[in-house]
Amino acid sequence: MTSPLAWRLLHRTLLSTASLIVPGPQRAEWLREWRGELWHVRQACSPQNNAIPDRQREVTAFCLGAFQDAFCIRRAEDRNQSFFAGLRGTPRLCLLTMAAILALAYTVALLLPGIRAERNLWPRKLNPNLVVIEGQGSNNDAVPTISPSEFRAWQGRRQMYFDALAFYQVRRQSVDPELLAGLLKRKATWAVAQTSPNLFTLLGLPLWFADRAQASSGAEPRLILSESLWKNDFGADPHVVGTEVRLGQRSAKIAAVAPDGSIGLPGRVDAWLVDPDAAEHATGPGYVVAHLTAAGSAQLWGSFVSIAALGPDNTEDELLGVAIEECQPSPMSIYLFGLLLAVLALPAITSVSLGEYSINPQQTPWSTKLLRWSFLAAKAALLLPIVYFVALDLAYGCTWVSRESAVYIQLACGFALCLFGMGWVLKDQRQRCPVCLRCVAHPAQVGQASRTFLDWNGTEMMCMGGHTLLHVPSLPTSWFSTQRWLYLDTSWGFLFAGSTRPIP
Amino acid sequence: MARDPKSPETKLSHTAAMILQALDAGFVYGFSIMEMTGLPSGTVYPAMRRLERDGLIRSHWEKQSIADAELRPPRKYYKLTPAGKITLESSRKRYPLLERLIPSLISREEARSV
Repeated sequence: MTSPLAWRLLHRTLLSTASLIVPGPQRAEWLREWRGELWHVRQACSPQNNAIPDRQREVTAFCLGAFQDAFCIRRAEDRNQSFFAGLRGTPRLCLLTMAAILALAYTVALLLPGIRAERNLWPRKLNPNLVVIEGQGSNNDAVPTISPSEFRAWQGRRQMYFDALAFYQVRRQSVDPELLAGLLKRKATWAVAQTSPNLFTLLGLPLWFADRAQASSGAEPRLILSESLWKNDFGADPHVVGTEVRLGQRSAKIAAVAPDGSIGLPGRVDAWLVDPDAAEHATGPGYVVAHLTAAGSAQLWGSFVSIAALGPDNTEDELLGVAIEECQPSPMSIYLFGLLLAVLALPAITSVSLGEYSINPQQTPWSTKLLRWSFLAAKAALLLPIVYFVALDLAYGCTWVSRESAVYIQLACGFALCLFGMGWVLKDQRQRCPVCLRCVAHPAQVGQASRTFLDWNGTEMMCMGGHTLLHVPSLPTSWFSTQRWLYLDTSWGFLFAGSTRPIP
Repeated sequence: MARDPKSPETKLSHTAAMILQALDAGFVYGFSIMEMTGLPSGTVYPAMRRLERDGLIRSHWEKQSIADAELRPPRKYYKLTPAGKITLESSRKRYPLLERLIPSLISREEARSV
């Protein structure tokens, strides 16, 4: 038999445990009251009246009731203290939450270094009418075909088809890590393009950290790193700009970083060595980028243009110009593409219908109807920028992700967020009272579970403002295919004491 | 949200009405109300919290000296507020058996004197 002391200990433990549920400021008084009552309960359940086990069971039952009381106090406190207590389920809370998410996503987009670097390139647009010039017989775009002497000859004469030219030749060069003061861990070999200084001006592309390098520029040749090299070998460290590099026998200063993937230039290049005498120093054929004149542009046929140019020996060379096209779409176009895909896929995951708004006998005013549609439009309007910025944060937030991968991440995230976001917008709208736009609550299963599919069964939910009752069929049938609203008249009002019941 | 205690439309559940009736009948602390109504502690105490929140009853601690004199812990007493009395009156009309279940103090004294 359990001793009375053990029972006492159990009862005190029960009350102490239940007191932990009660909010701190009320706990001491609550426990004092229950302990006081417990003393009287023990006195009342004296051994003279009952057998000892029954008596202790009664006292225990009394103590267990303390848990219900404690939960009751906790719930009341939570309702009072919650900032959103009055807003729960309201359209205002929904829009505030979405606005907060949008603000957060936008702030993150402003702060993430990857996006900051990207933002400098938006809108990224190559100069129009740019071509890479190749010999007519060339079958492979990646093989350089223009000799330095040809380039010099074209540069020295006024041409009909192009008005600006840039030359570059790609060579593999070893890099000495000593000068890089620990920034580069091991000896490496880079594909270095020796280029004329006007290449990037011709392309019209901004370079990262170019301002910083100008401040510390000296007489040394400038080296522009490709984005992938900067990320892979230097860990995307911006302090690498301004440091000196030894390439073979020459030294150069890192002047900027060129974004990858945006320029469809032939030849894989790790770094660009800007050399005013690139054509003079070149030892073999290279690539020539040219800007077409109006006459040259008129000759463009798709992406190609046939060009005739006078060569070094005054003979007319037949050349082919291949238009340089932007290889990578802008984040906005990726977003719009993802949005289009999501709109097309939406009917596959949810019903695009908003359900049946049956006729309200109390005549819903047109302003309420307008408010309902405005709320839907506001949710959609907030969702779109949320998707854009969240997808951008996820795709471009990490500097170690290459831009090519970032495009796919942005597309996948944008598509998924748009799809499920729009699905949620529609589902949320379907479950909002058409009168007050509050979410319906307290779902209850009604009807008999059907074996023949002929009995109606489904879920009913109640507007907490007491305006409507929503019937949602479990199995859509020909006579009950979609959800229906039942409008409640004012006689139901007494059930919703304390709730706001705006006049419909 | 607390209901308006002065509203004559305030409608109570049968349990809450029984507790008000018990308080009016002189059962002024939780355990005595439990004994009188037969309701468990998990129903009586939360209901009294709600009634107090709604301003229908109010509570006070008895003096420590009284409790010390009787060698027991002090207890918390409850009493009806004027709003509680009005609500109880309307509840009695709504639940006519209420007074028979828990006779009021005056009725009991009258019965005793007879």
